[in-house]
Amino acid sequence: MTTADVLMLALGAVAVGAGALVVTTRHLVRAGLYLVVSLGAVAGIFLVLTAELVAWVQLLIYVGAVVVLLLFAVMLTRAPIGAADDLDRPGWPATLVGGGTGLGLAVLLVDAYRWSTVELPEPGTAERLGTEIFGSWVLPFEVLSVLLLSALVGAIAVSVRIPGRRR
Amino acid sequence: MPVWLELVVRVVGVVAAFLVLPLVVGQAEHKVMAHMQGRLGPMYAGGFHGWAQLIADGVKFVQKEDVTPREADRAVFRLAPVVALVPYLLALLVIPLGPNDLVGQPLDIGLFFVLAVVGVGVVAVLMSAWASANKYSLLGGLRGAAQLLGYELPLVLAAASVAMAAGTLSLPGIVEAWRPWWLLWQAPAMLVFFVAGLAEIRRPPFDMPVADSELVFGYMTEYTGLRFAFFLLAEYVGIVVIAALTTVLFLGGWQGPFGDAYLGWLWTLIKVFLVSFVIIWLRVSYPRLREDQLQRLCWLVLVPVALGQLVLTAGVRLAIA
Amino acid sequence: MSERTGLPGEGLAKGLAVTLRTMTRRAHTQQYPDVAPELPPRSRGVIALLEENCTVCMLCARECPDWCIYIDSHKEEVAMPGAARPRQRNVLDRFDIDFSLCMYCGICVEVCPFDALYWSPEFEYAEYDIRDLLHDKTRLGQWVATVPPPPAHDPNGEPSKEEATAARKAAAPATAGQRGAGPEVRIRRPARRPPAGPGSAGNPEASGGREST
Repeated sequence: MTTADVLMLALGAVAVGAGALVVTTRHLVRAGLYLVVSLGAVAGIFLVLTAELVAWVQLLIYVGAVVVLLLFAVMLTRAPIGAADDLDRPGWPATLVGGGTGLGLAVLLVDAYRWSTVELPEPGTAERLGTEIFGSWVLPFEVLSVLLLSALVGAIAVSVRIPGRRR
Repeated sequence: MPVWLELVVRVVGVVAAFLVLPLVVGQAEHKVMAHMQGRLGPMYAGGFHGWAQLIADGVKFVQKEDVTPREADRAVFRLAPVVALVPYLLALLVIPLGPNDLVGQPLDIGLFFVLAVVGVGVVAVLMSAWASANKYSLLGGLRGAAQLLGYELPLVLAAASVAMAAGTLSLPGIVEAWRPWWLLWQAPAMLVFFVAGLAEIRRPPFDMPVADSELVFGYMTEYTGLRFAFFLLAEYVGIVVIAALTTVLFLGGWQGPFGDAYLGWLWTLIKVFLVSFVIIWLRVSYPRLREDQLQRLCWLVLVPVALGQLVLTAGVRLAIA
Repeated sequence: MSERTGLPGEGLAKGLAVTLRTMTRRAHTQQYPDVAPELPPRSRGVIALLEENCTVCMLCARECPDWCIYIDSHKEEVAMPGAARPRQRNVLDRFDIDFSLCMYCGICVEVCPFDALYWSPEFEYAEYDIRDLLHDKTRLGQWVATVPPPPAHDPNGEPSKEEATAARKAAAPATAGQRGAGPEVRIRRPARRPPAGPGSAGNPEASGGREST
């Protein structure tokens, strides 16, 4: 076991543990904060895997923006401080679906790689990532940007208020 | 020099900067603000023109009672000041002071690192706001979240412009690529970055989240003693970080009129303090923006300007290359 | 800013200029405990009592809006050799001003007919116990040393009443027929002591002292 392995395992445990807390805690806002921990741990895993840029982008986008937006929305509701007693979530189906997917993926990956080792690639610098994205992955990239653009246009179309028209 | 010794020296250097620079900026704020208002400011602590005022303040904060409201979410409430402070400490780690690796930790994508880490500070605002169990805190937190989310966009876009111009995401790399004429064609990006940075650290005139005349003290209302001091320290480290980033990205960092190789650290410090002075100056001169003016400025002025600057930068880069 | 003409951002620049200009000027702060403040001579700091001038006329105590002056006295007989009968004289036993009540209106100083009360600019007599703010006559007498000389007369102002009267008296023998100016002065300010008149204000003890109680 190298240091990287230990770090990897520890961060993975943190990520999974915090993720479990997100769905089990009865504190609404704390669930969002656990999500911060979980996503931060994932960023740490990226770091261990030498994907620096992806790690910081994960931090910037997910912790800095997405979770904050989520927390913002939760706080706008009547989220109580302390445990919320009136949470009614169907627990069992969610456990089945989530656990099943997780187990299935884990089994698939473990079965696929067994004990084969892979050399860590070169550090995932911005330059390499750029070459990859605009080289072999340019089509998915462009498709994604079209998707985001349509989402933006849709958001404007939904929210815009045209004078004279009711709504 | 063995690796561990070098590491220790670097960490000690960053921690020293983390502790000293905010105090210097804070003291400068006391004195500059006082003189801009025709006052003298602190005159007694330490003997000579009150130089030890902030140290005395620190001692005072330590002595105060550490109050946690009964209704508060204790764990989150107590953790928030630390979450507010640590990102800036990490950001200081990668900001270069001079050439030849005079930096806490040279990082290939330092720019992204700094932006990501500074963005985490929002979480602290939300944590403290919600955990305080106080309506003023919550209002302040909501304002803060809306403000920080909005202004992160022009901040990142303006930084991206200069990164595109330099062709690298490394902060020392950007300084090395910087030329004096960049002052001209990166000026809009610099303005956008500086204004958005002011909003990111919630300094007046962008201090709606703490707006003491409306919201008591916003998300910091319930904090006392050392935890409150942490928030204050975070604010001043924030000034240092934003000033240093503006210096490094747009003002040429260690590049000075002469002797860059051995006087670089001095040029950087001078520029950082000049930008800090401007930040203090703006605080004294301008009234606080209203909440809707704030969002309007962000989305209707800063973002379009930043996008235009991106197009300009890309065009010039292509023309040169 | 929209309706004003001029360059955009002009107001912002002006704001910055104002603060910068103020910074380069000297601060207005008075460093009070280190440097004594320069107070004008008629500052209302504390009321001083010149005990010899007091005739226990009680005017000050009666005019005081919040009744913060306490006066006790007794009468003494003074046998003057050669006089037909002994004269009576008021002796001041107690003259206290309670500065915890005083509102510094200065009416007592104004009404004192014999210049026994003065304003002194001294103001550093705060106490830890409110009862210590009651200054007795020795304490009030000590303040007299701090009373500044009256400021010089304004060269453009009208002459003081004393000067005017003296000038009129000096001119009176020459124009004996025009006595009409005299009553006019009295009508303008009804004198409290008709026999004394404004002319004798200079030596109050001689004439007015015994009549007032």
